[in-house]
Amino acid sequence: MVSTRTGGRGLSRWRTAIAGAVVLTAVPTIAACGSESGTTINVYQAPEQNFQTVVDNCNKQANGRYKIVYNKLPRDADGQREQMVRRLAAGDTGLDILGLDVTWVPEFAEAKWLAEFTGENKADAEQGVLKGPLKTAMWNGKLYGATKNTNVQLLWYDDRVTPKPPETWSEMMDMSRQLKSENKPYRILFTGAQYEGLVVQYNTIAASEGGHILSDDGKKVVMDKGAVDALKVLKDVSTSGLTDPSMPNAQEQQVQQAFEAPDSKAAFELNWPYVFAAIQAANPDRAKHFKWARYPGIDGPSKATIGGFNLAVSALSEHKPEAFDAVQCLRSADSQKFQALCDGVPPTIESIYTDDSPIEPCPGATTTDKPSMATAYPMRDTILEALKDPAVRPLTVVYQNLSTITSKVLSPPSDIDPEATAQELRDGLQKALDSKGVLP
Amino acid sequence: MAIIGGSTTSRKLRWTIVDIVVVVYALIPVLWTLSLSFKTAEAQTDKKFFPSEWTWQNYKDIFTTNEFIRALINSIGIAVISTLIAVVLGTMAAYAIARLDFPGKKALVGVSLLIAMFPQVSLVSPLFEMERNLGLFDTWAGLIFPYITFALPLAIYTLSAFFREIPWELEKAAKMDGATPAQAFRRVIAPLAAPGVFTTAILVFIFCWNDFLFAISLTSTTASRTVPAALSFFTGASQFEAPTGSISAAAVVITIPIIIFVLFFQRRIVAGLTSGAVKG
Amino acid sequence: MSQTVDTGAPAEAVPVKKKKLVLSEGKRAERKLGWMLCAPAAFVMVAVTGWPIIYSVWLSLQRYDLRFPDDREFVGLSNYAAVLSDKYWWTAFGITSLITVVSVIIELVLGMLLALIMHRTLVGRGLVRTVSLIPYGIVTVVAAFSWFYAWNTDTGYLTKLVGAEAPLTQQIPSLLIIILAEVWKTTPFMALLLMAGLALVPDDLLKAASMDGATAWQRFTKVMLPVMKPAILVALLFRTLDAFRVFDNIFVLTKGANDTSSVSMQTYNNLIKGLNLGIGSTMSVLIFIAVAIIAFIFIKLFGASAPGGDSGRR
Repeated sequence: MVSTRTGGRGLSRWRTAIAGAVVLTAVPTIAACGSESGTTINVYQAPEQNFQTVVDNCNKQANGRYKIVYNKLPRDADGQREQMVRRLAAGDTGLDILGLDVTWVPEFAEAKWLAEFTGENKADAEQGVLKGPLKTAMWNGKLYGATKNTNVQLLWYDDRVTPKPPETWSEMMDMSRQLKSENKPYRILFTGAQYEGLVVQYNTIAASEGGHILSDDGKKVVMDKGAVDALKVLKDVSTSGLTDPSMPNAQEQQVQQAFEAPDSKAAFELNWPYVFAAIQAANPDRAKHFKWARYPGIDGPSKATIGGFNLAVSALSEHKPEAFDAVQCLRSADSQKFQALCDGVPPTIESIYTDDSPIEPCPGATTTDKPSMATAYPMRDTILEALKDPAVRPLTVVYQNLSTITSKVLSPPSDIDPEATAQELRDGLQKALDSKGVLP
Repeated sequence: MAIIGGSTTSRKLRWTIVDIVVVVYALIPVLWTLSLSFKTAEAQTDKKFFPSEWTWQNYKDIFTTNEFIRALINSIGIAVISTLIAVVLGTMAAYAIARLDFPGKKALVGVSLLIAMFPQVSLVSPLFEMERNLGLFDTWAGLIFPYITFALPLAIYTLSAFFREIPWELEKAAKMDGATPAQAFRRVIAPLAAPGVFTTAILVFIFCWNDFLFAISLTSTTASRTVPAALSFFTGASQFEAPTGSISAAAVVITIPIIIFVLFFQRRIVAGLTSGAVKG
Repeated sequence: MSQTVDTGAPAEAVPVKKKKLVLSEGKRAERKLGWMLCAPAAFVMVAVTGWPIIYSVWLSLQRYDLRFPDDREFVGLSNYAAVLSDKYWWTAFGITSLITVVSVIIELVLGMLLALIMHRTLVGRGLVRTVSLIPYGIVTVVAAFSWFYAWNTDTGYLTKLVGAEAPLTQQIPSLLIIILAEVWKTTPFMALLLMAGLALVPDDLLKAASMDGATAWQRFTKVMLPVMKPAILVALLFRTLDAFRVFDNIFVLTKGANDTSSVSMQTYNNLIKGLNLGIGSTMSVLIFIAVAIIAFIFIKLFGASAPGGDSGRR
């Protein structure tokens, strides 16, 4: 389940490599004030390099009313979820703010572990937020989280190989076949290993087909024609000989490295925006011709799956008002912009994409260049376009089962038998919804 | 015996070679962990068996985190308390089994035998739910209870084997001198049994120290998480770094007591395992 | 091992010495003391195993999913139907059985060799015994991490040595590594149990056989094995049941990915990851039954030579 969060990695590394003097903050500094005796707000969030800076800034803004403590969760998504779930199940009141992957809100909300955002808190959390990411923070029509960052996959290509990028899967496969016959780089790279990354591909293709895996309320299995057709697309490309031989074991990093390799045979890469920063250092030559477009669609533009994080307040927290207040600061426009530029995670607030004012160099940077959305996100228009027409992974209480079963039955993608696989998915998902699903 | 034939010198040589094979077999994983714990962060991925540059940094790192120190305290505290209780209860029961005649003895032996074979994972679901409701989840007591339970059969079998070797006559003599069975137990048998009790304590401690399934399932925070469970929660210095060094250093630290036991009490442990467990 | 001979001696010896006085004063005191001494141990053991297993039977009859707290209801045996008709469960069951059988067989062979070495070596007997205890004593998770880092693609010296590519992401190599870790850890324990049996083999018998011209192999199979049979069976029973519970190594090495889950790992996943107490408890009960069946088969097959067959032996 790494897929939803890898966005930051390469970008911040690259940034660290070329950036300058150490200036600690991008957010206006308000007089610091110790809060030894005050309330402590415990945030549980995945490890992100500069989230501590955000926390420090918010502590300054809190002005002693409370002190936010950043508790780092494990690096892998399963580990993060497990740690929070276990404590919440035991009625632990020590967790105040939870950093939730976009797929977890329904489960946590249904289990009654999350406090609803209402009134002013709700208005603030919805203010200027893109609709797709916002949807991931809702369950049963109520808001249970505030979006912290989002993410979306794009199609990456080399403009020397293909001056004009394909717009659909069939176009991409035709181009690839043509290139292969001309002995040029031709491969289509995507995450085909048995894990969440494969689910993301499938979800994107299914949504682009207009298909549904579950009903919109997440309570019934649908698996309609579009969802079945998406299985065909996945099977076709996997058996076409146009993919990398290691595709059935490839995760984001392998996909990224296969495109960066000096003798790369790849023409197309489907991956998160972090690859743009990563290739600058890894293969400067190819980086100059590294271009992007929206993820290919079926008939028209695609609906690409979004990733990212939401911040939620635990229903068991003993300091809910302060926690809501802290959430507001931790995911404010300033905080999101700072993390977008320094941690490489795309923001959920639309106006940030067009905000070109630079911020102070990132902490630990080695140059004095001031990053801005224009310098760090040359592909921001494409990201924004994709985010405005996105696919959300099925919002369901049993996402854990859905993800496990889906990645399992789709793996390896070349063995997909569309009708049979669809039936297997239907059965597995229905069982999970009835609490009869067995996790492997 | 002539498993390996030949003259004495060449037999000795062959045995030496065999011994070396055994020593290498037993020590390789330990040495590898030791090596990783002394490697620098950059060298973790060099795939060499020995560190080219030695550092104490990993040890410094774990001993500056609250996470590891708390886990170590939990491990020691929980294992020591469980061992004490299990050995006391086990000694009482083993004495009764070895020396006294009373109805229900066979049942007790049978029950301990069943528990020795019991699949511990079968307890995880109900204990998770029960401890959640009783407020024992993520507390020391929440681990101590299952530990005592699974240590008791081990303690009872090992101890009753030891007790059987204690000369009968002494107890009889004490009784003739007017001691009650209880006094005979306290004054005569207990001191004689001390070595056996000590050995049992070591075995029980190793068992509690070793547990992972209960530790990972019945704890959620540093309040009671023991080192084996804490290892899998180490996060590493930053998100780019796998916590290999810290995990290895912590692993070495919790291996030290085992090495000490093994070095100093090898004979006792062997005796304890072979007398109790074989017939267990 | 001398005690093995005085089968149940103390148990029966006492009444004889008391001259069979029916509930004499001393006898009554003895009974009372016996019960008092055993009560705490018996109470703890029954309370922490007996009651939870009954409770888990109760939980297994309910739909009880912490993710659907409002839908808790009594569902009869439908959780059993769900688990027993699930292919993931049977995969885990098959994997567990495979790991159990393969590792116990290897352990028996290696353990026998190690026992012979420890028993017969002319040099460094203490050293060999001491180092053999290290795998027995070391925390399983620690050893598992050592194997994990040895076979990991980033850090592994063994991966490099063998030239394998990411062995822990593929099913068969993962299973082999899990078995290796199990075997390494428990062979010394097996060897110690067998060594105790080996000590029972009378040297005279071996000498006599040797004089009759029996080869080393014949002496091993015809003289030593029969004498050691009870020790071997006990070792097999204990290791089989123990191996069937395999969890720690799998948790660290693969977390059950790529079809390497054992039944214990799967129960943990459904309980802690899936938060499904109904299904988790069902699995708990099924594993309990499976273990009971294995123990029953062993005891039936080997009769009184297995420990449960004649507990009075103690």
